[in-house]
Amino acid sequence: MSEALDPRKTFGEALVEVGEKNKNIIALSADSSSGSQLTAFKNRFPDRHIEFGIMEQGITGFAAGLATTGKIPFFVAIAPFVTARSFEMFRNDLGYMRQNVKIVGRCSGLTYNTLGPTHQSLDDLALIRTIPGVVVLNPGDPVEIKKVVHAAAEHVGPVYIRIGSPKMPVLFEEDYNFTIGKGILMKEGIDVTIIGTGTLLYQAYSAAELLAKDGIKVRLINIHTIKPLDKEIIIKAARETGKIVVVEEHYIAGGLGGAVAETVTESFPVPVKRIGVDDQFGSNGPYDQLIGLYGLRAEQIAETVKKFIS
Amino acid sequence: MYSLNENDEFRLKKNALNIRKNILRLIKADRAGHLGGALSSVEIMTALYFQIMKVDPKNPKWEQRDRFVLSAGHKCLALYSTLAEKGFFDESLLDTYGSFKSIFPGHPDMHKVPGVESNTGALGHGLSIGGGMAMGLRMSGLKARVYVVLGDGELAEGSNWEAAAAASHHGIDNLLAIIDRNGLQIGGRTTDVMSYEPLAERWRSFGWNVREVDGHNFKSLVEAMSAIPFEEGKPSLIIADTIKSKGFSFAEDKANYHYWKATTEEIEQAEKDLAEIERRLVG
Ligand SMILES: Cc1ncc(C[n+]2csc(CCOP(=O)(O)OP(=O)(O)O)c2C)c(N)n1
Ligand SMILES: [Mg+2]
Repeated sequence: MSEALDPRKTFGEALVEVGEKNKNIIALSADSSSGSQLTAFKNRFPDRHIEFGIMEQGITGFAAGLATTGKIPFFVAIAPFVTARSFEMFRNDLGYMRQNVKIVGRCSGLTYNTLGPTHQSLDDLALIRTIPGVVVLNPGDPVEIKKVVHAAAEHVGPVYIRIGSPKMPVLFEEDYNFTIGKGILMKEGIDVTIIGTGTLLYQAYSAAELLAKDGIKVRLINIHTIKPLDKEIIIKAARETGKIVVVEEHYIAGGLGGAVAETVTESFPVPVKRIGVDDQFGSNGPYDQLIGLYGLRAEQIAETVKKFIS
Repeated sequence: MYSLNENDEFRLKKNALNIRKNILRLIKADRAGHLGGALSSVEIMTALYFQIMKVDPKNPKWEQRDRFVLSAGHKCLALYSTLAEKGFFDESLLDTYGSFKSIFPGHPDMHKVPGVESNTGALGHGLSIGGGMAMGLRMSGLKARVYVVLGDGELAEGSNWEAAAAASHHGIDNLLAIIDRNGLQIGGRTTDVMSYEPLAERWRSFGWNVREVDGHNFKSLVEAMSAIPFEEGKPSLIIADTIKSKGFSFAEDKANYHYWKATTEEIEQAEKDLAEIERRLVG
């Protein structure tokens, strides 16, 4: 777990891999091919890369139309612009029409640390998980990014994939078992459960290590699929550890924290602590300091967990 | 140049009459519905489905078929009525309009109605969907074409213009858009609410080849529709001048019949109007 890799580059490589396997896979760009790491795909399959310019709403419709003819479009762009900007087209043209389109929101969360709230995406999981039939994937390390891209390519139906930008440490072995909708138990424990996801899985993992040093037995779960949610692993954790902490680079409203709270309140109510960005627009500055502002660094998470269980 | 013969024109007029009858049948089932824009598009729909498009009602998903997208989804009464007339499903099903879990929602649903190709109703995104279909067909080496019907009020939605630019940029010439220019939208005259005139010039400046025709005249509609692509490498547009609520005397060219809450007297009048059209057609 020493190596850290660029998530976008990893995504770009994975897209070429799935492109080799299935000739129906095409890539759609909104004037951000290089930033979206579509260049490798474009070089390998020039006829299967379509540039549209900056028209995310329209592209979402084009993607739906292309999918009706058997193509499998991967539309990749900056996260808020393929979710918030084009939400209605996502809902109607992909969700309601049940089209086999993969939307990839890259540089999600606070990635655009200096560019500010217009470019940050702290609500995309909340928005997209309301759409019936859409699979929402939030990979937690570079190995998982590859698994997610392959799984999305094989899954028939609309998928949203959320990808960050800062380098991600490798947490998983190449051959670990990834299934859409199945959470991963990373560490057994009985005192409290920490659920991590996506770009902050590593911080959650490190927090669990810190807490272990203090003798706190943390159960650590990776939820890479926000929808359909693995309710079983969550309810089991509620029953066996009594308290749950959710860590995500997203608003605490409506994200994975919200989804977990919805699940346990209905099935096995236990206290849930949601760690994320509270009700404010993101600030700007160096990424590490920015996530520190919202208490998202490992040592801060560990502190919050200690207070929460004491 | 293609010219419609008398027999075909007569046949199309009969289809159009039946489609108007179907529209009234749907409305009678629920006592309400989006009337005006459905009636103004009847000749457009008739020309497409009974003269131009290659579709197979017995095999709605036939791979080589031409595709139709109703961007102005609220005109669905015209689409359902046309599909029924074409034989995609039994006409008697139209009587279920408005009933619990009817296969005919107030805007089209491709997973419920045989022959419907896309889910529209939120105005302004049908052209993107149609553009994507046309692109996909072309990439797959299929000769099929895509036909998209738009309202004129709908054109104020910005995403139309994204699609217009992209279709031209990518030279999608297996795409025909048809604007049903009835001059009205909910709030009144389109030129008063939010004018996009001069339409032809604007679309030409977006890289489309444009023709303006009388949208109730089969000869001019079919002549234009059978000439696509008007220009190789460019998407084609027909601006069809129409009358909103065409055929129902009391409602023609009136904004308040956009959505019709039908009274018994009006339904009787509509029946008389259709009987009169029939009398003049077949004597
Ligand atoms: C995005 C969106 N906004 C508003 C509406 C409500 N609406 C339905 S029809 C209509 C007027 C449409 O006018 P036009 O496109 O000219 O259609 P037509 O005259 O053919 O009925 C409006 C505003 C809608 N369906 N979708
Ligand atoms: Mg109109």
